[in-house]
Amino acid sequence: MIAVAPQLRRSAQANRPLLVSLNVLLLTVILGIVTIPGFWSLLTLRSLLLLASFLGIASIGQTVCALLGGLDLSIPFVIGAADLGTLWLLNHHVPQWQALLLVAAVCVASGALGGLISYRLRGQSVVVTLGVGYVLLGVAQLVISHNSQTGESVFGTVPKWLVSATSVSSGFLGNTPPAAVVWLALTALVAFALRRTWLGRGIYALGGNRVAAGRLLVPERRIWILVFALSALTAATTGVLLLGFSAGAVADAGDPYLFTTVAAVVIGGTSLLGGHGGIGYTVVGVCILTVINMLLIGWGFNAPAQQVIIGLLIVPVVAMYGRAPHPRMRV
Amino acid sequence: MTVRGTAVSLRAASAALRAPRAAQAATELATPALVCGALLVTLAFRFPQLYSSNGIASAVTASAPLILTVLAMTPIAIASPGGIDLSVGPFVAFLNVGIVHWLVSNGYGNPVAVFAFAIGVGIGFQLIQGLLIGALRLQPVIVTLAGYLVFSGLNLVVLPQPGGTVPGWLERWGAATSANTPELYLLLGCGVAWWLFSRTTFARNVRLVGGNDKAAWVSGLSPTLVRVGAHVVGGVFIGLAGITLTALLQSADPTQGASQTLMAVTALIVGGVSLAGGRGRALGAVIGAVDIFLIGYVIGTLDLGSSESFVSNLIYGAVLIGALFLGSLTGSVAGIRGRLTRATGSPATSAVLE
Repeated sequence: MIAVAPQLRRSAQANRPLLVSLNVLLLTVILGIVTIPGFWSLLTLRSLLLLASFLGIASIGQTVCALLGGLDLSIPFVIGAADLGTLWLLNHHVPQWQALLLVAAVCVASGALGGLISYRLRGQSVVVTLGVGYVLLGVAQLVISHNSQTGESVFGTVPKWLVSATSVSSGFLGNTPPAAVVWLALTALVAFALRRTWLGRGIYALGGNRVAAGRLLVPERRIWILVFALSALTAATTGVLLLGFSAGAVADAGDPYLFTTVAAVVIGGTSLLGGHGGIGYTVVGVCILTVINMLLIGWGFNAPAQQVIIGLLIVPVVAMYGRAPHPRMRV
Repeated sequence: MTVRGTAVSLRAASAALRAPRAAQAATELATPALVCGALLVTLAFRFPQLYSSNGIASAVTASAPLILTVLAMTPIAIASPGGIDLSVGPFVAFLNVGIVHWLVSNGYGNPVAVFAFAIGVGIGFQLIQGLLIGALRLQPVIVTLAGYLVFSGLNLVVLPQPGGTVPGWLERWGAATSANTPELYLLLGCGVAWWLFSRTTFARNVRLVGGNDKAAWVSGLSPTLVRVGAHVVGGVFIGLAGITLTALLQSADPTQGASQTLMAVTALIVGGVSLAGGRGRALGAVIGAVDIFLIGYVIGTLDLGSSESFVSNLIYGAVLIGALFLGSLTGSVAGIRGRLTRATGSPATSAVLE
């Protein structure tokens, strides 16, 4: 008992963000059940799960970038570009798997480029990825507007499997949205990679202390490139899934995910300074954000008002566990 | 004798220090200035109207919001590593919406009220951001990204559709036909104000805190106070940017934010302000803003029709990456390696490394 207590305390201390965020999640769900009639139904839960999947998949990449001490602001643009590009390719009778591979390859290449430049310009990944994102989406819009009136949207027939992958009545596993299965599978895969592979341990090492990681011969450049490529890949997955959800492609499909991916990471408890946190934290963060969003819709706030409220919520949450140490602690 | 000798040698030493600093300024300003020259020559062929008195007047009106926005971001970027203010676009649009929708439509369109509102709100918002970043030590990115989201939403809540009118004096600002406009004098006044500010001890403290907050703290400065102060200085310029944006638009537009932020960030980086903190000069940032503005003119002459918005975003994004890459080659981001280590490393490790 005496031996266990400190260990328990240490584990509770290490997981304090997780405890806080789980409590917040519980609170928001209770708030929903109390204030919104019909909140506690299987259909609502399935829709929540579906909406959480889009955000969750895109947030996987953001989490890994944050663990490295960077941020990927290109996610909304990659989502938009993947959304437009996939439907445009399908409209041009490119076979489905080739279209998906091509979109994935282009997105991963742009992500890798962003990672490479971010590695060279340490600490400036925010502006680097912003630039890369605008270029990628601009190129995609240029391509699709080549033979059409607009570069803002593409109309066409979305493959049936993609529509049912993002449906809440797919008949799959008791009508679980298949996108949620994709989310959980990807999360499990990345969680395993972060815990058990050299790449994952290298990410934590680099995020914690770059110099020490360098002394341990962690290949820094390769990891930066791989991490940002992974982030682009998960963002592209969200983009393709959104195509099935909205049955048409628009350039600003990714806009909501600029802030929400960062917010999910932060609310979950992963530090933007790098090295602390994990993918499981982000899953909780994604759930909290999705439930809060549902609450705000249920209470009748329109989209701009939701933005204001979520923007105001994030700052106190970061203040709880995302503060940098005072210079006096670092001297 | 010894005293005079010391004074002389001190003077010599400070002159010797100043010479390389001037050379450094020249290299830092060379790239944006060269780009600016090339763009001006290009525009002489593609858009000769720019060089008429009318053309210069409208160029001043159209570039003033961007120049003042970038001027506002400069002290903030210098004061902390990663101190990029992403909220500027939606916030300037918010000032525009506030001036038109709250002040003018309620009969408070006189210059005193407009200036007091814009500068007051500008300082107030930057004070909040400064306290969050400086005192609570939150990451600038997350704070300013939250500001970006809040104001892009708030603008649409306040004013769902673009519209409204501006008072007569702002109408005249926007409709000027010669370069001899109040806006030009406003810009020149800001230039002089910045020059005076940059010679103060406080401006030097901002550089020190941004470059190395541990050294600043050890020498008795309060990084918190200095950072909040830098934000307040930025708040004055961002307020003026809101007024000039209103003069440019001649109404209120709640949807301006996103591309304005991209342009301002690009201008800042092109102007050689390092996001590593502690480095950068307002002159460079202003030339960067002029560059971005002139690139917009060149894009305008391409006659792209409906694709103009995303082609300009594509070009600004590419310029941003190009400028960052160039910066990494010429070493204007030098020193970041050391700082990052200090920021993320454990005290013991960094002590050993230093």
